[in-house]
Amino acid sequence: MELERTLARLADGARQMSRADAAAVYLLNEEGARLTLAAVSGFPVALYQQEPVAVERSPLDAAALSGRPVIVGDAHTDPQATNLPGDYRSALCVPLMHKDAPVGTLHVYATAPGCFDERDAALLSPLADLGAALVAAAREIALLKAQESGKAHFIHVATHELRSPVAVSQSLVRGVLKGYAGPMTDKQADLFGRVSRRLDFLESLVNDLLELAAGKAAGPEEEEPVLLNGSVGRAVLLLQPRAEEKGVALTLQRCPDRLVVQGTEDGLDRIFVNLVGNAVKYTPAGGNVTVAMSRVRDGIEVQVIDDGIGIPEEALPHLFQEFYRAPNAKASDEVGTGLGLAIVKDLVERYGGRIEVQSRAGQGATFVVTLPPVDF
Amino acid sequence: MPKILVIEDDADMVTAIRMPLEANGYEIVAAATGAEGLQKVKEIEPDLIILDVMMETTTAGFQVSLQLRSPDEDSEYADYRDIPILMLTAIHTTTSLRFGPDEAYLPVDDFVDKPIDPDVLLEKVGALISD
Repeated sequence: MELERTLARLADGARQMSRADAAAVYLLNEEGARLTLAAVSGFPVALYQQEPVAVERSPLDAAALSGRPVIVGDAHTDPQATNLPGDYRSALCVPLMHKDAPVGTLHVYATAPGCFDERDAALLSPLADLGAALVAAAREIALLKAQESGKAHFIHVATHELRSPVAVSQSLVRGVLKGYAGPMTDKQADLFGRVSRRLDFLESLVNDLLELAAGKAAGPEEEEPVLLNGSVGRAVLLLQPRAEEKGVALTLQRCPDRLVVQGTEDGLDRIFVNLVGNAVKYTPAGGNVTVAMSRVRDGIEVQVIDDGIGIPEEALPHLFQEFYRAPNAKASDEVGTGLGLAIVKDLVERYGGRIEVQSRAGQGATFVVTLPPVDF
Repeated sequence: MPKILVIEDDADMVTAIRMPLEANGYEIVAAATGAEGLQKVKEIEPDLIILDVMMETTTAGFQVSLQLRSPDEDSEYADYRDIPILMLTAIHTTTSLRFGPDEAYLPVDDFVDKPIDPDVLLEKVGALISD
């Protein structure tokens, strides 16, 4: 909790600057009716008020939240000091104001009476403003994160609902195309063939959107050390039948070292299935795809090298954009959504790595993924 | 004529499965829920069960297969333990990397991906019934 640590530093700073015995930061809830203790400095544990405090029951806070610092000279005589904790005699309460709205209060306390004056209030006000800005920023970030994850969740649910009718439609059309619903005219076969290709595309789109949403929804807390040799090996194994069917030689250059990176097994599998899948897809019969991995100076590197159709120079800057497909890829018969490489880049960067591509039209392509190593 | 029980809640998917199998001489009996499927297993004693993973719940298919293959001696399905099960999955190839029949926790004999390719279906059905 970055905000908690920052507020603790704020409390420490306030206590030192005002030479107080203790300091505390309270944050206002969304309705503005309750204050919750967020950070303390020099405060005896026994005095921690864990339950939120109603603003109306704390005259000191209620006064400060109107926008001005409040000084308690002596708790024994000041009517505003009804809820001063423990044996503290004097206090200063400064509002945390952001854009003219209070987000909380900063308190400093002393056991002796008359310890704080206007100069202390003037000293602490900028510190309180800084704290308020940090609180507002942290809340904004939390909101944005929730929205991002909410959006990803929506895409996930929506595409999941789409997947089933697409799969059923494609299954039926395949049956019809194979003649199981009776003989077809050439014209019907041609048209059903087109329907089938469109459904293939829709299926890829749904699957890619699901992967993209899954990647965006996953939090870094799910990452762990993963054996890269396994991920790369599985991707090659999975795509070997497709390569054989196409007449493409797919070779894995194994690495004797255990290459461990930080990530999720699913995410790393997706990266290499996508990259090796693309290489096989865009390499014509008789071509070669080689996958190699090694330890390099600044990390662990996986290279996916093919001698396929390549990528035209003008397409290179757009290659990792969502929905972009290079003109020669579009012109090929291969189904593609333009989401695969966006998914790959998203995941590689999530794991602290980078992806580079070297290619020219007609001269194959080399994708290089570099990931930071983990000592394991 | 070999009998195949198709446990699948989507009637259109049942049609897609039925078309190539009936054309190749198999008799198809369909059940739309896991419970109905288990009931039909006893009634018709099929030669093969084609089982969808997700039906009324996301794991209904798993539960059916676990019940059918229960090692419990008193299991009411003990007599049907040896019927081969072909599981239908809509799980994309990428995520199915570690999702194979060798996984001990999933007592099925093989998987077929949705959308169904009739040739792949016929090949897998043929292999499981002749075993």
